[in-house]
Order: sequence, then structure tokens, then C-alpha cells
Amino acid sequence: MIMPQFLNKKLILLLAGIIVLVALIGFSLRERETLSWPEQFLKDTTGWFANAFDKPVSAVTGLFENLSDLQNTYDENAKLKARLGEYVQIKTEVQALKKENAELRKILGKEDDLSKYSPIQATVIGRNPDRWNELITINKGEMNGIKANMAVITADGLIGKVKSTTPTTATVLLVSSTDPNNKISASIVQEDAANGIIEGYDDKQGYLLMKRIPFDKEIKIGSIVETSGLGGIFPSRLIVGKVVEVKIDQNGLNQTAYLEPATDFYDIKNVMVVKREVIGEDAKSEAQE
Amino acid sequence: MKRLKLPLTALLFFIMEGSFSNLLAGDIFGGDKIIVPRFIMILIAFITIYGTRRNGMIYGFILGLMYDVVYTEILGVYMFMLPFFAYLIAKIMRILQSNLLVTILTSLLFITFLEVIVYQINILIGFAHIDFNTFWKSRLVPTLLLNLAFLVVFSYPLKRMIEKQKLESDGE
Repeated sequence: MIMPQFLNKKLILLLAGIIVLVALIGFSLRERETLSWPEQFLKDTTGWFANAFDKPVSAVTGLFENLSDLQNTYDENAKLKARLGEYVQIKTEVQALKKENAELRKILGKEDDLSKYSPIQATVIGRNPDRWNELITINKGEMNGIKANMAVITADGLIGKVKSTTPTTATVLLVSSTDPNNKISASIVQEDAANGIIEGYDDKQGYLLMKRIPFDKEIKIGSIVETSGLGGIFPSRLIVGKVVEVKIDQNGLNQTAYLEPATDFYDIKNVMVVKREVIGEDAKSEAQE
Repeated sequence: MKRLKLPLTALLFFIMEGSFSNLLAGDIFGGDKIIVPRFIMILIAFITIYGTRRNGMIYGFILGLMYDVVYTEILGVYMFMLPFFAYLIAKIMRILQSNLLVTILTSLLFITFLEVIVYQINILIGFAHIDFNTFWKSRLVPTLLLNLAFLVVFSYPLKRMIEKQKLESDGE
């Protein structure tokens, strides 16, 4: 009679464990912007160690990368020289356009610009090892002015947004993450611009899915897609990718565009967190609270 | 200082998983393969087998909790799985001999269990969309290969360290 009782106790413990597990998962799936202080403390402490550990590791990997870079130097140099002439021409053109743009803005009396931002440089110190939810940890946090939902970019384009912050670290949710809450408002750059929302990622082909584009918009394959700056605190005109395919949704009301991302979501080392200079109404009221 | 050796190794393994996975995510092994370092699972298997079951479960709980908070931001999964696995490993080891080869195979077996269960949980909560065939080819096999390589290099020093620690704490 002792054995079954003994087993029962363990069974109850296991069941209680499963109930707690389900409750905790449910709790963490809600959209939380602030973490509790024990979580922040744990993240900060491990972040400090990870930052220290990252220094020698990146020194070694940097050396190998430099060596492999050296192999391609000759070819690259030839290509770059060829493009140098082009560059000078584009530069003068850009300067003229910038000047014109500023003058026109003055005439309109519209000084605000959604595309203006100031970047905060950061280094990646860790990545979620199980890789289901694509999260990376960076070595800058609230103390450096980073807030939840800010855009994160590399030199090539948008890679994600800040999910949560602690005083010295921040967690970035990559655009390629299949988190159901991962949504970014974007627009397709063409004569008749089309707005939509980027949500979802096709693992097999490596394409981003841009959904909810009105069905009557004609979309040119090869158009560039940028952030629209319509949602809260993302600046506009951060490059996301290029349209490669367009499909009509099942109900026929919307279209979905498949985008080839401008950045590589795998090899990420240095990133910039983007702080928009014009603050949206949502963010303003949040700051006042 | 000697007492701190095991906790410090655990911390090192924990940090290593995070920074390794960022390195492994690069193009070295092709972007479509996902290699998951499971050093913590290995450490817990070794602590359970060569140390005590109690220690294995405690380390499993603490490291699992840290993993959930710092890396996945989904609380509960690893915090629950790792101590549970430590318990199962202790049960299995009553039947099996604890030589190094058996320990390595047991570690790999439990890494497989962990991967499959975490995959199933992620399907449930809507994060995973791949079918089992893709999972097997692009995640499980590369993951097992990397962890096997890690085991081949570090299993002996790890065994020695944990056995020494156990002897010392038994002697007190």
C-alpha cells in the first residue's frame, strides 16, 4: 500500500508542475513592454558577463573574418574604383536635392520630418539559442535612451524592433521572427504607394510576408519596401526589402507581397537602434504618464 | 574557490550558449541549418550521473529559469523541463552502467527529447510553423552533431571535475 501512495505524491507534483508551466507560458505570451524587476536584474547581470565574454570571442572571430576579407580585396577594389566616378555624380545630385527639399519644406511651413532619426550604436552580445523565437540581446539599454518598440537597423536596412529593455541591455525581436505579435507598418515605394503590414516569415524561401495591401493596388515586382512611419515611434523610410512575388488573399479583399529582405538575419554583429526625432502622439502621451 | 568551480562552469556554459548561437547563426554552416548549442543540458546530465540527483535537479531549475528569463522570454518551459529531465536521467541510470560512452549517448538522447518537446510546445503557442520532416533535417541532426562534437572534447574533463567535487563534498 505504500508504493501507490508514494507514486501518487509524485504524480500530483508533476501535474502541479504542468499547471504552473501552462500558467507561466500564458503569462509570458501577453504583450509585455516592461519586465518585472527580478527579470531585469537577471538580464542585467548575465548581460554584464556576456559583454565581458564577447570581447575575446569577437577578437578571435574578427581575426578570421579579416583574413577571409583579405582574399577578396583585389576584386573588390577593382569594382569599387569603377563605381567611384558614379558616386561623385550621385553625391552632387543628393546635395542639390537636399537643399531643394529644405527650401520646399520652409515654403510649406512643415519642419517635422518622420524620416529624421538619431542612431544609437550597439553590439550583439547574445542570441536566443533555441531559435524558435528570433531574439537577440544588445549591450545598450534604458540608460542609453533605448525604449521598447524602437526600430533596429544594420547598415543594409531594418532588422527588427526592441521588445523589452533593462537598464543596460535590450532584447530585439527580429523581423523574421514568427511571433504572432510581430507587426510592422510598411509601404511599397512606387508611383502609387501601397501601405501594408509586415507580419510573418516564410522559413523555407526566406521571404518576409507583407499583408493587408488593398486588392486594387497594382504592385510592381522589384519595388523597394520601406517602413511607413505610421505606427508610433518607427521612423519612415528605413529599407525593409524588395518585392519578389504578389498573391491575392483567399477572400480576395487583400493582397500579400513576398519580400526579399534587404538584410541578412543570420549574421548580425553591430546594429543601430533608431530614435525618431518627431515623436508620435501615442509615444508623447506615454512619456507624460 | 573549489566550491565555486561548478557554478562558474555552469555560468560559462550559459553565456556560451548565447554567444555561440549568434556565431553559429552566420553563414559558416549555411543559413538554412539551425544548430542549437545544448551545453546546459549536457552539464545537467553529467551532474546527475556523476554527482547527485538532487544537485542535477537544482542546477536544472536555476539554469532553466535563467534560460527562460534571459533568452526565450517565455517563462516556464526550460524551468520545468530541465529538472524533470534530471529526474528521468537518474531513473534511467539505475538500469544502465555509468561509463563515459553511455553518458554521452544518454546526453544526446535527452537533447533529442528536449528539442522535440520544445518544438511541440512552440507549435502549440504558434511560434513554429515547420513540419516534422523539415525539423528533423534542418534542426535536429545538425544540433546533435554539434553537441556530439562538444561532448567528445569536453566529456572527460567535465566528468573528472564533477567527480572531484562530489568526493570533496562527501568528505566533509
